[in-house]
Amino acid sequence: METIKVDALGLACPLPVVKTIKALEALTGPATVETHVDNETAVQNVTRLAEGKGFPVRSEKLSDGHFVITMEADKPAEKAEETPVACTPDRRGNTVVAITSDAMGHGSDELGRQLMKGFIYALSQLEELPKTILFYNGGAKLTTEGSLSLEDLKSMEAQGVAIMTCGTCLNYYGLTEKLAVGSVTNMYVIVETLAKADKIIKP
Amino acid sequence: MRAKLPRLVVTFSTTAAAMEMERYCQANGISGRLIPTPREITADCGLAWSAPSEAESAVLQAANNGCIEYAAVYHLVI
Repeated sequence: METIKVDALGLACPLPVVKTIKALEALTGPATVETHVDNETAVQNVTRLAEGKGFPVRSEKLSDGHFVITMEADKPAEKAEETPVACTPDRRGNTVVAITSDAMGHGSDELGRQLMKGFIYALSQLEELPKTILFYNGGAKLTTEGSLSLEDLKSMEAQGVAIMTCGTCLNYYGLTEKLAVGSVTNMYVIVETLAKADKIIKP
Repeated sequence: MRAKLPRLVVTFSTTAAAMEMERYCQANGISGRLIPTPREITADCGLAWSAPSEAESAVLQAANNGCIEYAAVYHLVI
């Protein structure tokens, strides 16, 4: 399938969305469209555009100031007379999610791991994303190599959600070298983050 | 907020060593406690042993006796 690259680095909203719409309208068949942008708000706006058109979408932070949003367009977008472009300032609220285990709830760990995977997926679909997601104790297994939640977490990171994993915990589980998304944090930052949150979600 | 006092802080390169230090010191009546490694210190492990400054020789002796490898020793007001 054809891959179209849209370079929107250095452009402010609504230009990344406008350029992506033009690329989608110009398609001649199914294609993968990759939009490159330099800020999290642009990631959110382009992601919302893809969601609105019903195209599967994911995003990733490639480096500081460089993000890519990838959407799978099954057909060209219809040319609208005037496509409304919303420049929503920011999609993050002051909510903190504390993930303390790789399993959600007690009873069966096998079931719990499935539930946690679903929780993180659904979290990434929230209209208002959390500000920070903290991972500690067994939660550290979710941000490291082999985790099935990496795609969802990278997508949220690209939209500006801080993904932070307890360093003591990574060390304890022998996962220090395996961190695959976000950054390492310590107990002082964990406590401050929880203390300053408007709302804490603990699955 | 707690009053800040001069303390001895011993860091470790692994979480397992820090936890072993706590087990050994508690079993042998060595003073101190495990704390999150203070942020002014860069250490591989996020847990450190904190004890009164004057307990330095007893604490380091305990680490040696318990064959617990520590990374560095600091004196901090925390």
